[in-house]
Order: sequence, then C-alpha cells, then structure tokens
Amino acid sequence: MATATVVAAGTKARTEQGSGIRPSGWIGFLFIAPNLLGVIAFTLIPLISVVVLAFTDWNLVSGLGGITFNGIDNFVAIARDPGFWHAIGLTLVYVVVSVPLTVVLGLALGIALNRPLPGRAVLRAIFFLPYIVNVVAIGMTWLMLMNPKAGLVNQVLDAFGVQPGWFASSHWALPALIVMAVWGGVGYCSLIYLSALQDAPRQLYEAADIDGASAWSKFRVITWPSLLPTTIFLLVTLIIGASQGFGLIALITAGGPGDATTTISYYMYQTGFQFYRFGYASAIGLVTFVGVLVLTLLTWRAQRGRALND
Amino acid sequence: MRRKRFSRREVLAGVGAGLAAAVVPGCSGGDGGRSGALQVWGGVPAASGPADVVKAFQEKFPQYKVNYTRFVNDDRGNLKLDTALQGGVDIDVYFTYSQGAMALRAGSGLAADLTDRVKADPDLQVFLDTEQPRSYIDNGKVKALATAREPFFVLFNEKLRQQAGVELPQSWTIDEFRATAKRLTTDKTVGTYTLPDVARIALGPNYWYDGNRSNFGDPHFEQGFRLGREMIAEGTAFPWTEVLSRHLDAYQQNSFLGEEFHLWSTAPFNLRYLYDAKKYPHDFKVAFAPSPTVDGQNWNGGSFSNFIMVNPKSPKFEAAWAFVKFWLTEGATPMLKGGKMPALGNVTDEQIVSGMLGKEPEKYFDLESFRRVVLTSDPKLATDTRLTGFPEISLAVKQQRDLCWLGEKDPGVAIREVRRLADAAIARNERRP
Repeated sequence: MATATVVAAGTKARTEQGSGIRPSGWIGFLFIAPNLLGVIAFTLIPLISVVVLAFTDWNLVSGLGGITFNGIDNFVAIARDPGFWHAIGLTLVYVVVSVPLTVVLGLALGIALNRPLPGRAVLRAIFFLPYIVNVVAIGMTWLMLMNPKAGLVNQVLDAFGVQPGWFASSHWALPALIVMAVWGGVGYCSLIYLSALQDAPRQLYEAADIDGASAWSKFRVITWPSLLPTTIFLLVTLIIGASQGFGLIALITAGGPGDATTTISYYMYQTGFQFYRFGYASAIGLVTFVGVLVLTLLTWRAQRGRALND
Repeated sequence: MRRKRFSRREVLAGVGAGLAAAVVPGCSGGDGGRSGALQVWGGVPAASGPADVVKAFQEKFPQYKVNYTRFVNDDRGNLKLDTALQGGVDIDVYFTYSQGAMALRAGSGLAADLTDRVKADPDLQVFLDTEQPRSYIDNGKVKALATAREPFFVLFNEKLRQQAGVELPQSWTIDEFRATAKRLTTDKTVGTYTLPDVARIALGPNYWYDGNRSNFGDPHFEQGFRLGREMIAEGTAFPWTEVLSRHLDAYQQNSFLGEEFHLWSTAPFNLRYLYDAKKYPHDFKVAFAPSPTVDGQNWNGGSFSNFIMVNPKSPKFEAAWAFVKFWLTEGATPMLKGGKMPALGNVTDEQIVSGMLGKEPEKYFDLESFRRVVLTSDPKLATDTRLTGFPEISLAVKQQRDLCWLGEKDPGVAIREVRRLADAAIARNERRP
C-alpha cells in the first residue's frame, strides 16, 4: 500500500513537473500569446516557406498553383552562379573588415568613456546617437558628405591629395559603406562594453595594483578575459547584422556602381523582387542562413574556456 | 474535483488553430470582403488626373461606382499589387507600367483576355496592330491596352540657346546633336544631361533580341556607350560621377531648372515641372526639337505605355470593361496634366496644349516648336513585345553603362559583358515552362 502511494505520488509529481501544464500556466501563455502569434506568423511560417520554396521554381505572380518542385536544381545553379559567388565575396570583405573595426573602436571608446571625463554622460549619448537615428537620414547625410565634388569629406582629403569617388566609383563604394557601418556601430559597441567594464571584478585590479602590474598586463590578464563573453556577443550580433546589411545599400547604391556593392542580401533582393525568381532567391537565403549559422557557431566555439569566469 | 491538464502538444495545437482562424479568412480568395464598387489600382496619384477620369465615368454611368487606389510604381509597389492580385484582394482593373511586370502578369493568369471585346469594337481596331503595337498580345490574346503615348523629344533652354546663337533644329543627326551640345557647353552649363538611346533609334522595338539570343552584338549598342563616354570626357554631357552621387537619374528636372545642363532628351511626363514656376522656379522658356536620327533611322525612344488590364477574377467584368473603354475612348483628357497623351489620340490639339502646358503655355513654352514636334509629327513609337528576361537585361545594361560612363570600363568590354549576361538571362528564362 505504502509502495503504491509512493508510486502514485511520483507519477503525479512527474506529470506536474514534466509534460503537463497546469491550468494556471494558461495565464502565462495568454501573456506571451500576442508575441508568440507574431513570431509564428511573421518569422516561423516565412522561415518554413523559404525552406520549401528553395526547392521550387516559383515566381510569386503565378500564385500557389504555379509552384513546381525542381529538386536541388536551385542549389546546383547557385554553385555555378558567378553573381552569387561575387556577392558572397563582397559580403565576406564587408563583414571581415567592418566587424573587427567596429569592435576594436567600440572597445577603445568604451574604455575611454569608462574613465572620469568631464561631460561623460553627454559624450556617451552622442556616440550612441548613430545607432538610433533613422537609416534614411544617415544615408542621405553620408551621401552629401561623400559627394566626390562638393562633399565635406573630399574637401578635407583634398589637402592630402586624395579624391576618392566614394559611391560613384566601383572601387570606393564598398569602403564607403564600411565606413558608414563602422560609424553606425561603434557607439552601440562602446555602450555594451561600458556596462561590461563596470561589472569587471574590482578586487582583481586591486590585487594587480598591489603586485605592481602594468596597465597592459592588467588589460591582458583581467580586462580582456572579463570582456570576452561581451566581445563574442558583439561579434555574433555584428556578423549576423553585417551579413544581412541591406537598408543603406538599397538606399544609396542599389548594388552599384556595376555590381560593386551587390552583397548577398541585395543579390537575394534583386533575384526575388526584381527578377521575380522567388524559388532561387529562397535557395540563396537558405544557403546564406546555413553559412551565417556556421560562422556564428565557429565564433562561439572559439571563445569556449577563455573567458575569465570559465 | 479533478482539474484538466493540457499537454504541450495540445497547447501548441490550440495556438496553431487560433492562428489559422485569424489568418485564413484574411487570405480568402472568395468574394469575402468584395465591395460593390469597381476597384481600380493605378500608379498615378488620383489628383494628377485619375480622380477626374473616375468622376466623369461615374457621371456618364451612374449605375457604377469606382474606387481608385494608388500604388507607388516601384519594385515594392508592384510587389504589393502582385501580392494583392494573387491573394484575391478586390481589384477589378489595374495598370502596368513596366514591361517586365507585364510579361509576368499576362503570362501568369493575372490578365483577362480582351481579344473578343477589342475585335468587336470598331473604335479599338488599332489595338490589333502589330507593326506599332499599342497592346500587349500574349499567345495571340490581347491582355493589356496602352492608355498613353509618350514620345521622346529634346528640350532646349531658350534663353541659353539664344545666348549661344544656336539654331533650333527641325531635324538632326546624332552627330549634330553632339556638335550642338558642344556649342552649348559653357563654364556654368553642361551641353546635355545625356544622349538619346542610339541603338533604340536605329533598331526600334525589341532591339535587345535577335532570335533566341540577345542583339548586343549590333554595333549601335557600343556606339551609344562610346559616344556617351566621349561626351562626358569632353565635358559636353553631365559627369556620371555627379549623376550617381546625386541620384540625378530620378531628379533630372532639378538640374535642368537650375540650368546645370542645357539639352534634355525627355518625354511629356516631365513637362509638369516646367509650367509651374511657383513650385519649380525658373525664368526661361523651353523649345522642342525632335529626337536625332541614327544612320538614317528615326525610331522614337518613347513608346505606347501605361497599360490597363482587367483582373480575370473580377466578378464585375462588364463594369470593368465599360471603365476600360471609357478611359481609352473618351475619358483620358484629364490625364494630360500629368503628361499622358491618350494612346488613341482622341483629343484636340488645343486640349493637349491646355492640358499638358498649364495655364500660361506661351510664358513657359515655345508653342510653335511644340506644335511641330509633338502635335503635327507622327513619331515612330517603339513598344516592346518581346520581354524574355527583361528585368535582368535592364539591370545588366544599367550596370555596365554606369561603369563605362564612369570611365572604369571600355565601351567594347562593357557591351560584351551586357551581351553575355543578356544571353544567359534569355536562355534561363526560355528554359522555364
């Protein structure tokens, strides 16, 4: 009898802790329902649709009845598509140059703003401003600043005998976009670093001071390891963001001059929304998603065991 | 009392069902949500003419009510229209402006077959012409009808022309165009914005295609790229670095009004900037010259355009056809203020002058040249009917032209790249079922 009671009690406990949901749990679901419905409708269903459409030759205008499955044809075509590989190359350059630059400058700025400077709060707000300003305003401002003939940037560079064509040059358009991306991201990075720096363990710095450690030693042994999780977070989010970079390209260069700024997201947009090759564009999206996922996992894996708390 | 517990699976199923209940009715392709009024979608703002067309139609046919919805005629706006058509949104009549979108819509069951109606109507026989087509015919079926004709011409800034002592040409060649641009170039004003499409003038409609390949091997394409590049290099055409960095392609009128350049090869839709000096200040008149000829050929760069189409899913076909016919045969006069000359030409010269040139035409335009170039002459309009891979080829031409005119790519190399990309696009699109 006692055994039976114990078994029954155990089953009940498993049910409550495991697969079942108490009616009171419904209240929780009601709270998250609006967001959950939004995620399902605008993220999950489109995501599944992209995976399905990647194996079709669909052009939207032909409607659902026009969906024809074509197996792995799209992926074979991607492998042979010079436009795709060109866009991947540009995206890699954009990511590999802009992300480390943003992180390094953000870290330097974060450390500087962590010191007792006069007007520090105002400076923090100013540096964060680009992150919250509308992308159209940013784009139009930089377009004027980087006008090859009358822009402020070239008027300054003229003193050094340099006159880049910026957005009107296939050689300079991507560097110009990288400058804008770095300018837009540094403030955000510095703010995240700032909060991480304020959480850095004071006692370790005090111990290092007692041991007579140099500033560089303290940075290398205490500051950097304590900032590593933050750095990885920033790297992952910036890599994902840069891989998806679209707004400024659509606004300023439309992928040009020529195809000098046709990164993978813009190539995907052109393929889908200008050429109406939605099946092929979905396949590009899927391949890009897998690529970014692998890159993110590699970045994540690289930091394991190196953080101060690990 | 025993309280019912729900498994995760049941909870997710419930959420899914709720979502489906919320979403599915919105995607209904049936008559749910259809109104009694005729729904017309177009890219021209209602105030620029369509509202007056609708008003006149409702006065003549009081039994019909029309709602006009404007979509922005860009990639996103056209996508919105396509999604709405596919999703069963209540649209009876709509307009198509780009040739690429036309081929897709007509070939994907989004355009009703109007052949019988056109054939049966004596007023509309011109839409069956295939020499200078005013309709889009898909596999022998009329799917779209042009509502406007938009001939290209060259505008002269009269003040600057007289200062330079240049005669207003009544006919000229592309070489004379170049020489004139050179004579008009000063320290402050560039001779021309750019040059007319040389290959288009020489080759006419469907000039990108040659059988089942592209036609970019024709020397006129390289001639156009080379001439443009040379004129930019000698300072008689607008520097392409400025065009790209200031996005002038979309705002040419501002530079013309600001007298940054002189000759402007353009179409009637840009005349609206020239008769409203309060909104677009300027102190000069403009005169009209015809497009130059190339090797004796005189195809006009303009075309019949602004195609009206009927949604085959429309349950109000009779009303839709009544509206289409009204627009084509008698209702399009209000569209003149936006520079849309009726495709059937069924308006008087005076209606065109007062409609397209504003309230004080003598103040801003040289009427004699306007009458000669726009009203009296009958330019050969080139409307494309072959549209395989059209968006891809358009992009390839634009990309390579930009590189060539920036001075980064030799004209021959640029055209060969266009040819390679165009051949690939045609082959890929013709493989499709």
